Amino acid sequence: MLPEQHDILFSFLAIAFAIFGIFVFSNVIRECREREGINAKLWGAVFGAFAIVCFLMTVHMFGLVQADQLAFFFSIYLWVVLLLLFIWGVFYKSNKIESQSPPIIRGFFFWTTVSILLAGYTNWLPQQRSDPPPKEAAVIGDVTMEEFAEMGRVIIFGAKQVAGQKSIGKGQCPLCHTFDPGDHMGRCPNLFGVEERSHGRVKEDRYTNLPVKIGETEPASGIVKGKHDEMPEEYRRQHGPEEFIGEDYIRESLMCPTCYVVEGFGQDGDTRSPMPVIVKPPISLSRVEVNAIIAYLQSKDTPGEFSSVTVPLPQDDPGHTGGAVAEEPAADEDRPVFVTGNEDIQTMINTLGCPLCHTIPGIDGAVGELGPKLHEKINAPQRIKDPNYKGKATNTKEYVQESILSPGAYVVFDEVAGEPFPDGLMPTTFSQMLSVQALDKLVNFISQTEPPAGG
Amino acid sequence: MLGKNKRSVTAFLSGLVLTAVVYLAPGMVGDAIAAEAFAEQAFAEEAFAKEVLAEQPGLSAVDDGAPEIEWGQDVFYKDWEGNPLKGPVSGAPAPELGPTDYNNYEFAPSRMLIWVANQQHLYFGSFVLAVPIFCMIIEFIGVRTKRDDPIMSVKYDRLAHDLMKISLTAYSWTAILGGILLFTFITLFPGFFKYLAGIFRPVMHVYALMFLAESGVLYVYYYGWDRMSQDPFLKWIHCSLAVLLNLIGTILMYLANSWATFMQAPGGIDSEGRFLGNIWHVIHSTLWNPVGVHRILGNIVFGGGIVGAYAAYHYLTAKTEEDRAHYDWVCYVAMFICIFGLIPLPFAGYWLMKEVYAFRQQMGITLMGGIMAWLFIIQAVMIGLLFFAANSYLHNGMARVKGSHRYMKYCKYMVLLLIVCFTMWMTPHTIVMTPAELKLMGGAQHPIVGHFGVMSAKNTAVNLMITTTILCFILYQRANKKIMVPWATVGNCWIAAIFVGAAINIIFLGVYGYFLPANQRVGLSVPQVCTTLTTLFAGTAINISMFKDSESYGDIQWGSQSKVGTYAVFLLAISFTWLMGLMGYIRSSVRLFWHVTEVVRDNSVDAYTLTIGEAGKMLTFNTLFVWVQFVVVFWVGSLTGKKAPAEAPSGVPVPAQQQQ
Repeated sequence: MLPEQHDILFSFLAIAFAIFGIFVFSNVIRECREREGINAKLWGAVFGAFAIVCFLMTVHMFGLVQADQLAFFFSIYLWVVLLLLFIWGVFYKSNKIESQSPPIIRGFFFWTTVSILLAGYTNWLPQQRSDPPPKEAAVIGDVTMEEFAEMGRVIIFGAKQVAGQKSIGKGQCPLCHTFDPGDHMGRCPNLFGVEERSHGRVKEDRYTNLPVKIGETEPASGIVKGKHDEMPEEYRRQHGPEEFIGEDYIRESLMCPTCYVVEGFGQDGDTRSPMPVIVKPPISLSRVEVNAIIAYLQSKDTPGEFSSVTVPLPQDDPGHTGGAVAEEPAADEDRPVFVTGNEDIQTMINTLGCPLCHTIPGIDGAVGELGPKLHEKINAPQRIKDPNYKGKATNTKEYVQESILSPGAYVVFDEVAGEPFPDGLMPTTFSQMLSVQALDKLVNFISQTEPPAGG
Repeated sequence: MLGKNKRSVTAFLSGLVLTAVVYLAPGMVGDAIAAEAFAEQAFAEEAFAKEVLAEQPGLSAVDDGAPEIEWGQDVFYKDWEGNPLKGPVSGAPAPELGPTDYNNYEFAPSRMLIWVANQQHLYFGSFVLAVPIFCMIIEFIGVRTKRDDPIMSVKYDRLAHDLMKISLTAYSWTAILGGILLFTFITLFPGFFKYLAGIFRPVMHVYALMFLAESGVLYVYYYGWDRMSQDPFLKWIHCSLAVLLNLIGTILMYLANSWATFMQAPGGIDSEGRFLGNIWHVIHSTLWNPVGVHRILGNIVFGGGIVGAYAAYHYLTAKTEEDRAHYDWVCYVAMFICIFGLIPLPFAGYWLMKEVYAFRQQMGITLMGGIMAWLFIIQAVMIGLLFFAANSYLHNGMARVKGSHRYMKYCKYMVLLLIVCFTMWMTPHTIVMTPAELKLMGGAQHPIVGHFGVMSAKNTAVNLMITTTILCFILYQRANKKIMVPWATVGNCWIAAIFVGAAINIIFLGVYGYFLPANQRVGLSVPQVCTTLTTLFAGTAINISMFKDSESYGDIQWGSQSKVGTYAVFLLAISFTWLMGLMGYIRSSVRLFWHVTEVVRDNSVDAYTLTIGEAGKMLTFNTLFVWVQFVVVFWVGSLTGKKAPAEAPSGVPVPAQQQQ
């Protein structure tokens, strides 16, 4: 349910409780009429009032949105119903009526309690919503190789990483593969050292002949094995040497997993790979995305060092058709958030969701505490001088821009918690959400933020 | 067990086995049936021949001026060489859905509305498909026991008739909910419905016709009940109508299943979504059979849960001893049927998962190790609840059996063992933590508790829980019996040895698993399950063998079930309902952002996968909402007038425990 909509479960329970209030009222009236000596006016008034209150509270709940409904239900409505049950019990006891609440009511509360406890249990567990991946990654303007490899990392692992939980991106690779040395618990080969292996593997006899021979077409993917120049045109390498190189092996592995199956990881006697062809549904990566993954795989074992990367950057790739690389951000239905820069700064920041995590002076409601407070006019110069700072910024504006586009470049230390703020929580997708104008506007504003006077 | 003599037991068990054979066998052995394999081969050869024809210009139809045949590759079916099967393109490609293909209301997202509509229809559909199965069995038992025990025969017949009466109201309700579902689908997802209707056009018409046939047979079956009971020949015709009714119902369900299984794991189309001319391939996609079998078993369990809860409620409200005894007995029968369906259900589930993995390993991993993995933890909790409820019912039910005091003292130990196992069973492998918490704990897993989060511990726990339940059932069976066979001591020693040996073996294998690599560890679950099944079959067989010439401590006191035992039946019913919704949600949502996996992308604003909490709330709503409707339906069913009491049976049904 969207935040501005009703909560279907609690709306239902509100209706049920309103009916329950009326039921109790009619039950009490019936008991009063059947017995002598019961103060019918008193009890009728009490339970009539309860019925009216329950009805009004139900009506009130329908005027609220989801979060408010929950708050109202648990803080007021539930207690009123419990009080009603208690008073109902008092009515039975005080009038010495032996036949108490009918089984349908007990059954209802038993049913409801068990069901709500189950719902509560599911809400106690870690919550993770999975959004559909964009059809294609968008790159705005020129990118550096570091950013391009980072794009590959995000495709593999996703932008959000939560401690203790496996993070999975559009490529879905970590479902099966592992990436760290010594981690051999994966269902598919560990990809640590894949760049090095990619050069030697094509020379192995096993690669030459199994499960299909070089030059033969692998049926499931339609790829001709070992022939980079016979790759589908939209993915074909159009740079570099003529021979089949390590980059081609990695690309082939992604687009034709069965062209070579690592021993012990295949099916039918290692003649068939269980891995999906990642340029086909459901993953359907574009040329730029495949290249970004290759860039990441070629560079991930040597952090900060990109000399082993052979794929071209999108802006230098003669083969790219422009489909995935946009100089100017186009209207893209898959991009959920985009800021043009024509908005006022408050709207921009709210649209981007910064207040959820950051406290930002000058922005109403920006009191988030998950990330550092944005007092960049003072903090940025200090951080640039920090020995732990590994970024490239030389002034406040560059630092702010770097923090927006590459949040992992410098992780701020949380003085209160005594540890750094969690790395990886801040999305790395702001480059897709901001126009150049919007980025400038945002950087200018945040560069001027400072603690409020007296605060 | 359910009637007064052995004949009724034999008849009852025969009925259950017959049902299993009639309904489950065709699906279970689907791929093994030679005819089907032959059909596959014939189709492949035919397709290959057409392909050759099409590729040879001299023989091609193109040369004759006829329109060129376009061939597409099937997304699922393969020929004998493992290459995608080719078929003539016979339909339009799947549409790229846009904003105009989706409609919505302000008050709730469309996916929630379609979920509610679908789930409510499925719940009721499940019930109305299950009840005729019960009625068929119970009526059959009634017919078989007529000569030896006419009173019981009448009681069985009346029970079956009463159940059908409820089912009749529920049937109309199901049809209304089906209409609501259809309108919801058409109005909120018009673009996708158009595509699906294009593919399944003939199936939908056959479905409608089958629905008509189902209605006709149902009405004749119900309204002809009294008239056809008067003549033995007509009674057999009536029983045959029950079989026919169930066959038509099963076909209906299988046809409707084909739409869902096509969406999850399509076949008979190419990668662009174009129909390849063979409707059987579209219907008979890879998950069709396992889903069908799983649903039949699920329907039996769910129906048993509903009838059990219905009887339990009437038991609580019964005014006379006779009514209390009757509903207590009905409750027991329903629970028996329910557990009968529950035992093979996990195996059907495994089969389904195996087929999911075979279709796309990635889909299987998403279920068991990806974003859906937590939902399986919840499933584990629900299964734990089921075991608690079933054991609680048996423990409390034992109290009304004379002679049970000999075994009641063991109940508390069994409960303790269940609690320990349940705790282990629901311990998560990893949980989401802040970095500080992660550092504090020393890793993603707790150094001690973390050991219980792995499959070695969980398999051990669940097998011990099942074994405990089997032991409980065995004790329940013999509660009122004084064993008289000369080999009683030997038999008891064997039963004890089987259970102690099983426990030791299960625990040993569980511990041993910690010392093995993951891929070998997985294999240990097989001997563990085999050990558990050994206790079920060998333990029960020895136990029943010992009943020969046994003396009875006394009758079961029907109508003296405790309230806790009755509420345990309620708990079973809630758990089944919630679990059914959960598993349905898992099966459906594993498509992620696809309407039809890898073919028709869901481009609506609702294409995301819900958080567990959101899903949990919807499941609870669906559970409560459907039970409100069931209460209404039962109430409406009760308005049709109560019959005059039958010739007062001299006693309540007598269980097997007291048979001499």
